[in-house]
Amino acid sequence: MKRIVNHPMEEAGGRKYWRSLGQLGDTPEYRGWLEREFPQGASELSGGEVSRRAFLRLMGASSALAGLSLAACRRPEKHLVAFTRGVEWSIPGKALFYATSMPTRKGHTPLIAQTHDGRPTKIEGNPLHAVSGGATGLFEQASILDLYDPDRAREFKHAGKVATAEAFEKAIDAIVGKAGDGAGLAFLLEDSASPTRERLRGLIASKFPKAMWAVYEPLGNTAAAEAAKAAFGAEVLVRPDFSKADVVLSLDCDFLGIDSQTDQARAYAKRRSVDGGNKMNRLYVVENRFTVTGGMADHRLRAQASQVGAVALQLAGEIARLTGDVALNSIVNAAPKTGTQFPADWIKECAADLAGKKGASLVLVGERQRPAVQALGYAINAALGNLGKTLSGAKPFNKPAATIVELAKALGDKAVKTLVIVGSNPAYNAPADIDFAAKAKNAETVVRLGDDEDETAPLATWHAPMAHYLEAWGDGRAADGSYLSVQPMILPLFGGWSEIDLLAKFAALPKPKGAELVQETFTKLSGTKDVATDWPKFLYYGFLTGSAAGAAPLTLNADAVAKLAAEKLSLPAPDAESFEVVLVSDASVDDGRYANNGWVQEFPDPVSKLTWDNAAWISPKSAKKLGLENGDVIEVSVSGAKIEIPVLIVPGSADNSLTIALGYGRTAAGRVGSVAATTERYVFGDDVLSGGFNAYPLATSAEPYIRIGAKVRSVGRSYLLAVTQEHGSLEGRGGDLVREGTLKQYTENPKFSEKFGMDAHIPENRSLYAHPPLNDIHQWGMTVDLNACTGCGVCMVACQAENNIPIVGKRQVIDGREMHWIRADRYFASGPNADGKYDQDMDEPEMVSQPMMCQHCENAPCETVCPVNATVHSEDGLNVMAYNRCIGTRYCANNCPFKVRRFNFFDYNERQLTELRKWNLISDRGMEDTLKMSKNPNVTVRMRGVMEKCTFCVQRVQEAKIATKANGRDSANVRIPADSFTSACAQVCPTGAIVFGDIANPESAVAKIRTGPRAYELLKYLNLSTRVLYLTRLRNPNPRMPGAETAAAYSQPKHHGPHGADAKKGGAH
Amino acid sequence: MANIFPRSSNWLPLKIVLMALVLGTGVSAGMWYYFTPKYTRVGYQPVQPVQFSHKIHAGQLGMDCRYCHSFVEVAAHSNIPTTQVCMNCHAQVQPQNPKLAPVRESWQTGKPIAWTQVHKSPDYVYFNHAAHVNRGVSCVSCHGDVSEMEVVHHEKSHSMDFCLTCHRNPENELRPLAEVTNLKWQATPNEGESVSEAQVRIGTELKKAWNINPPDKNCAGCHR
Repeated sequence: MKRIVNHPMEEAGGRKYWRSLGQLGDTPEYRGWLEREFPQGASELSGGEVSRRAFLRLMGASSALAGLSLAACRRPEKHLVAFTRGVEWSIPGKALFYATSMPTRKGHTPLIAQTHDGRPTKIEGNPLHAVSGGATGLFEQASILDLYDPDRAREFKHAGKVATAEAFEKAIDAIVGKAGDGAGLAFLLEDSASPTRERLRGLIASKFPKAMWAVYEPLGNTAAAEAAKAAFGAEVLVRPDFSKADVVLSLDCDFLGIDSQTDQARAYAKRRSVDGGNKMNRLYVVENRFTVTGGMADHRLRAQASQVGAVALQLAGEIARLTGDVALNSIVNAAPKTGTQFPADWIKECAADLAGKKGASLVLVGERQRPAVQALGYAINAALGNLGKTLSGAKPFNKPAATIVELAKALGDKAVKTLVIVGSNPAYNAPADIDFAAKAKNAETVVRLGDDEDETAPLATWHAPMAHYLEAWGDGRAADGSYLSVQPMILPLFGGWSEIDLLAKFAALPKPKGAELVQETFTKLSGTKDVATDWPKFLYYGFLTGSAAGAAPLTLNADAVAKLAAEKLSLPAPDAESFEVVLVSDASVDDGRYANNGWVQEFPDPVSKLTWDNAAWISPKSAKKLGLENGDVIEVSVSGAKIEIPVLIVPGSADNSLTIALGYGRTAAGRVGSVAATTERYVFGDDVLSGGFNAYPLATSAEPYIRIGAKVRSVGRSYLLAVTQEHGSLEGRGGDLVREGTLKQYTENPKFSEKFGMDAHIPENRSLYAHPPLNDIHQWGMTVDLNACTGCGVCMVACQAENNIPIVGKRQVIDGREMHWIRADRYFASGPNADGKYDQDMDEPEMVSQPMMCQHCENAPCETVCPVNATVHSEDGLNVMAYNRCIGTRYCANNCPFKVRRFNFFDYNERQLTELRKWNLISDRGMEDTLKMSKNPNVTVRMRGVMEKCTFCVQRVQEAKIATKANGRDSANVRIPADSFTSACAQVCPTGAIVFGDIANPESAVAKIRTGPRAYELLKYLNLSTRVLYLTRLRNPNPRMPGAETAAAYSQPKHHGPHGADAKKGGAH
Repeated sequence: MANIFPRSSNWLPLKIVLMALVLGTGVSAGMWYYFTPKYTRVGYQPVQPVQFSHKIHAGQLGMDCRYCHSFVEVAAHSNIPTTQVCMNCHAQVQPQNPKLAPVRESWQTGKPIAWTQVHKSPDYVYFNHAAHVNRGVSCVSCHGDVSEMEVVHHEKSHSMDFCLTCHRNPENELRPLAEVTNLKWQATPNEGESVSEAQVRIGTELKKAWNINPPDKNCAGCHR
């Protein structure tokens, strides 16, 4: 019989942890998510899918067919096909690992690619390289799916018709032959950190001195480069060093989120720790909407993004006063005066804290801010003595190139005859004011090398498929400037060319292959005398040792900053009627380049939890003022440019500020990322559009990110958004799920959080069920340090790649059927108002993230209700699922208090998203061939009707066990060495928040962490003995700061101490 | 009123029940026998593209299993040899034998030979050869004495019950590591001991000495 647990009620007047405004208001929709394991109707074949009657009819038909086909039932003949000649290193069924690196907008990420029988299947960080440290970001994990994307450009095309690679090559040769001195030849490329590309650029420039070389990134760092040039007098890359920073102030810089680099997040988290004698750092954040970084902040100030310059100026004045820095003072005096005043005490205390840590503080200004604001940030750092300490400089990777604005002008003047576009997608993402697509038509020939036949493809006379980085040779520089290799793991699936292949043709190199091009660069860069030894070594390690860039001196040019501030530091006063629009890169699709990747599309935004779309984030107050609800479509117009987009109410946003992620609204991204062609049917709730809304029309070349004076008007219809924030809502009070406190509490009593929530009331546990024997020498367990977890969510996609987890599509996400085995729960936290009520127009909540996966309870409630023993406990403490035994009753999901079990309602692996809603018998089945290649062969590809959930990466556990035994042979020692492997989520975690290992081995990291003072079990009162323990999150508020006393202030239960009477009564209260 | 049903119909219910029982037993017994791996798999002997004789190679010539199945000790799969492995010898030995024509053709064209799979575990079973042959389980335990087979056939059932029988009592199959690929090896009995008793004695010793503890209740041992 199912045990009914009366979960404890939230105590009145305490701090509340809530996921959505719906939860705060306890709406019926929210109760639906809370009380059911799936929402109402999720398990019904509803709507246009199939009615019960039709289902029975079809079932009858299918059993009749089954009877007919039984006659033709015989053993299928399968063949084993070995190589003709053995392939070096290849052992059938064993994975190989190669070092490589992935090009991103911010330099290459050092990686290890896992290949199975020649197919790359999983990406990990290169643990030997400092920039990765074994971790990666989201896009690196998802890049495997990009490689196998069936919608990639597959053909060479001439004027839209299929052509051959040879014809393309001939056409290039003809262009090169006719190019003369390069007048009329122009290249448009994406930003790159490849020294080989830069070398080829030099060769092309010497051959075609008049050719134009333009580089365009819609979310590039041109403002940062301009600021650095003004502040330091030279082109310089400025890199923060979090390991030396005790106090950090971020001015609209999401350095843990969209602006993050793996090594920076790790260095920050290391200084956030309270273990190992570290002194915990302190973080102040000023931003216009909640970011991952804002969620980690000790003190957060909401301000419009256009006002961040004014905050910086007010702060600079305060710091100039405190430090007596003459240069900063002169800059502040030169800058225009601002009329607005921000909370003076906030800024005063923040400035005092920074000034008290001279040389050990750090002020970061976001790349989206104007150069003048960024330069002012450098001046503040100079006054604080941080230059050369927490901020260091490095030489930029490449020489400056022409901008897209200059290229567009040349095109407009008909000065470009041949335009070569490599990778870039300007028809979609160029600033609206330059009208690039129209001007590109002035070029006689447009040659395009592209991943997809996207928005830019129709412009191209010649379109060639571009090789993925896992298919081609290349090289690059990591963020620290060290030299990395890019090795191909597989021949180009669609015969694509790499960027350097094409450029080598223009450099008129004789029929080169990527490897020779890179080897030549390597020889020059490393200065090696022994290429035969050093080249393989370079490839083996994936990087050239000692090639990290040395620090360049940073000397502030105060006069230049003062001049810039005087002329360009525009400080518009906020206007209560108009809005500002902040265009940011998207956590899922970046600038739109990853739009056709289902993993990232279905990845919920770390803060808003929105999947498959973008939306205009708006504060609760502004939404109320305009009478808007989630999903209501608004028209945003800024000086003539207009877009329509639905709003999403996100607490913590600044009033009169819209944040819109770029990268959506693609029209030719492919089947996953494009906006569906129909635009009316969704009104009737019949069809669901996805793909989001293109916000690039709002960007101009002068103001690419922050536009002010926007007019907002409701257009009177709404759009369905797939937001997962209420999915998997848990019972239990704040303290039973998320625990947090302050550094002060921790220093006074490290075990301060031990008895939070119901833990103070738990009676002696008695279980009706037998405890599993758990007699294996290994016992697997996990810890999640909430203090280190930023909520970035990269664990979700790493898990998806490792465990063959399908995507389900937007419609299915709305119904709560997403399949992620691990999810990142995001809670907002706030206390009551003076009247004891909780504010529905919540302005300033705090944010806490909590990764949630199967807790592998020793007394697992799911196991006791399975009628067929498909989910049982193993001796090594895993709650295992035998898929082939599962009959899909879903009782286990019903009985799981953590709601981590996922059910494959439709055949998500076998059916395309467009086929899901068709009848079983007429839907097209079968996975695309290329997608089959992406699957991990060590994990079952689950079929429909089967329950699944986190396995603690049991395939890795078994592999380690078998390897220990097979290598041990006749040895009696079968213990796996401590920490010799880990789960996919723990491996990828940039901040090391997740630790997995053998808790029975006292040498393992997880065993040590588990016994620490901050470890706690979720919902301990249910007597589950979970194998996942969480560590209390700590904040380090500045005690002099206004509002410091409420930061992370968990309201202690009013009555404390042992509960003799209660305990005897037993039961929950 | 006359009886509608004749007297004989009194026995009808009993007859129906009896008939149902007989039929039910028959169907169950039929299922029991014909639908199990013991019937569906054992004895399967497909025709191979090359008339390769294990009896000659492994039996008469005494070649070690691992000459051809070279990765059995390091990988989950026991690999099928490449054409190159065949040609290592057959470039010199019987280079003109017509039976070897497909091998020579493969060697010349580079097109691999498509051997027909005999032993196949379901997709949801993750069997690992290395875990077994490195820990004293012989090839013969699951594949039978292949060195006596002219054409390989499926000898053991490979049902879950077959696996579990050994996983529960591994001492019945364990042998010294040096004898794993010796398909003829038998435990040497002490005086007054039968061979099977000797096997259990040796197996028990090895199980203890090597800490053999195969997953017998842990589903994840084989199903992931």
